Amino acid sequence: MKKFLLKSVLYIFLILLLLEGIVRALHLYTEDPPRFIDEYGVEKRVPEHTGYAVTGNRNQNFSEFHINKAGFNSHREFEPSKDKFEVALIGDSFIEGFHQDYTSSTAIRIEEKIPGIEVYKYGYAGYDFANQIHLVHAYRKDFELIDEIILYLNYENDLGRGQYEPNRARIDMLSSTLFKIRDNIKLLAYGSKIGIIEPLKKLAQGGNAFANTEGAYQTNTLSEEDEEAKKSAEDDKRIANFKRLIDFYGLDKSKTALLLDSRKTSPRFLDFLDENGIRYIDFAQSFATSKVSTNLIYDRHWNAHGRELISEEIADYIKSVRK
Amino acid sequence: MLFNSLEFLLFLPIVFVLYWFVFKKSLRLQNLLVIVASYVFYGWWDWRFLFLIAFSTLLDFYVAQYIHTNRDDKKKAKYWLWVSIICNVGLLGFFKYYNFFIDSFVDAFATMGYQIKSVWTLRIILPVGISFYTFQTMSYSFDIYYKKLEPTRNFVAFAAFVAFFPQLVAGPIERASNLLGQINSRRTFTYAQASSGLQLILWGFFKKMVIADSLAPIVDDIFENYTDYPASTLILGVCLFSFQVYGDFSGYTDIAIGTAKLFGIELMSNFKFPNFSRNIAEYWQRWHISLSTWFRHYLYIPLGGSRVGKLKSIRNICIIFLVSGLWHGANWTFVFWGGLHALLYIPVFLMGRNRLYSDNVIGERTWLPTLTEIFQVLLTFSLVTFSRIFFRSPSISAAFDYIHRIATDFRYEPYVHPMGYRMLDFFILIGVFTLYEYLIRKDERSPFKFKYRAVRLLLYALVVLGILLFYDDGVNRSFIYFQF
Repeated sequence: MKKFLLKSVLYIFLILLLLEGIVRALHLYTEDPPRFIDEYGVEKRVPEHTGYAVTGNRNQNFSEFHINKAGFNSHREFEPSKDKFEVALIGDSFIEGFHQDYTSSTAIRIEEKIPGIEVYKYGYAGYDFANQIHLVHAYRKDFELIDEIILYLNYENDLGRGQYEPNRARIDMLSSTLFKIRDNIKLLAYGSKIGIIEPLKKLAQGGNAFANTEGAYQTNTLSEEDEEAKKSAEDDKRIANFKRLIDFYGLDKSKTALLLDSRKTSPRFLDFLDENGIRYIDFAQSFATSKVSTNLIYDRHWNAHGRELISEEIADYIKSVRK
Repeated sequence: MLFNSLEFLLFLPIVFVLYWFVFKKSLRLQNLLVIVASYVFYGWWDWRFLFLIAFSTLLDFYVAQYIHTNRDDKKKAKYWLWVSIICNVGLLGFFKYYNFFIDSFVDAFATMGYQIKSVWTLRIILPVGISFYTFQTMSYSFDIYYKKLEPTRNFVAFAAFVAFFPQLVAGPIERASNLLGQINSRRTFTYAQASSGLQLILWGFFKKMVIADSLAPIVDDIFENYTDYPASTLILGVCLFSFQVYGDFSGYTDIAIGTAKLFGIELMSNFKFPNFSRNIAEYWQRWHISLSTWFRHYLYIPLGGSRVGKLKSIRNICIIFLVSGLWHGANWTFVFWGGLHALLYIPVFLMGRNRLYSDNVIGERTWLPTLTEIFQVLLTFSLVTFSRIFFRSPSISAAFDYIHRIATDFRYEPYVHPMGYRMLDFFILIGVFTLYEYLIRKDERSPFKFKYRAVRLLLYALVVLGILLFYDDGVNRSFIYFQF
């Protein structure tokens, strides 16, 4: 029995060691460049990191990222000046673009369409509208020099709060020893990415890993009127949050536009934008009529074609405002 | 509780430690632990099902005593045997086949022009693995009746034999003469047995989580949307189903046999590389062996087997294949599948080739198979795979429609994975798996039987890597044969 137990432990250790080597050699794990909150309260990446973001168990999507000196994944450094025409593109993971090579980003595609301009991509996974507008306010000296600001707004997800507060808990969690261990043991990072250690993680965090969530709670079916009332209340809340944020941080309507998908945006919110003279770029039409898929297979981010359509929409908009 | 779940990952070491460290000194306590662990394992699905196992255990324990007491009075012994058969088959019939027979009865009348409204169908939950443990308990009564076994007086041992958790829900269907004897005697821990158990568990997980689970979404997609696909995709769908069902069921069996080994118990082999069979008879000597053996011992031989003349032998073959089909599920598709196998088996039987390959494997004395063997294997695989269209389809008409489309829409179109994954990955996987199985074809109980330790270690790591590469947390991880 002693031999069995000892050899089992030894074999498990050696197997894990071998796997760690294979996972590293094949780069099956994804890299998540470290994050921090700067002195302005902006959450972003630690500057000057390069690496590869990987999606899927078998490297199905493999893309290089480069964090510039400003702390964002971009092919260029952000050096706004009065002499150049700069566009700031701000948003969440869709703009950050870890799912694409940084040399094939939406920003580069826009620059290719309008020679002479520079596009600064302030993307960060998890940014909502509060993050975005706070960022513009925090870096106002830079943004005074930037000619056009485009904020990517996912209406359903990005207007959940009316006040900005940096997510210090997340940063603390990510810089904890446990997470550092996870990031350094690539096998663990890989296992975590593909979800195989999810039940163990739940158990370790004190949750009930065995709970069958289906049927564990009751849901009531809402009537159509209730649904409408609920939707209307959500709209009220989102519009109020939007107002509150632009009242607090300000919004330079002369050079700011929202990038949105009107299929997923409330008509009431669109009316509100129209009434208040806030411009928006709507990519719904070009996505809806696209004969080729606009999203990646392995996650829902834009694929090369989707990014091309977005860059066309933005380039057209910039050309129109530059006139 | 599923083998491929976190629950089991925690459950198994706990039971192992209690079994070998806490209750090591008392066989009775070890058996009691087996019962408690098995009931927890089974009750994890639904504790109400435990009453069925308990009932089946009590019934056959006492019936066997009565059969034995009346062993000189053939009539009485037979009476008690029938009590066991009727109760066990009755349970099975009620839970598994009641609605099937009612619906079939109503449909039969409808074809004759009489419309009967089916008011007798009930909402019945099918207890997991009921066909497996009822057959196992019945085998005990049969063995006592045929005087192949003395009944045990030890109820704890008998209850442990019926409920032994590694093979409770999907076999192998053990005969009392093999398993009960081991449960009744003191087990000793041996390094060789336990390490071979772990190897089988690892290999079983690979077959289940890599082969079966990764092919499941493709097979489900093709069979659910077969009307949208050309012949090339439909052929692909059923071929992949062949690998899926094999990976699923033999994977389960390997985990079961491996787990039993950790407790010092040897279960019978249930699969011996059936994909390398050279004719249908060999296939049935290599696929779900415990069920084939059960039917041979308790149905085919009592009916006269092959010693009753050609016509009666053919009748017997038809009976066991049809009953075996029905055993799989309450659907005419399974009966048809069984019938089809009978039709494929009878010519082999009539040519006297049904025992030709019973003691050798493909490439028995050579590295590579001969061209004839390759042809035979491909032909057998094709026939078995063709029959699986009925096994997998929801109805006979759907199965025929599937075949009709293969025959009439004969064109090739590349198939796109429902999740968009690269299909080449799966073709490589199947190819590597088949080649590896060919390498280990001579011993189904030693999947890592290689001389050098370093080779074995590398293989273990590659198997775990395979599990990681093809792991999909969105897939339904249940086993196909649980429904039977």
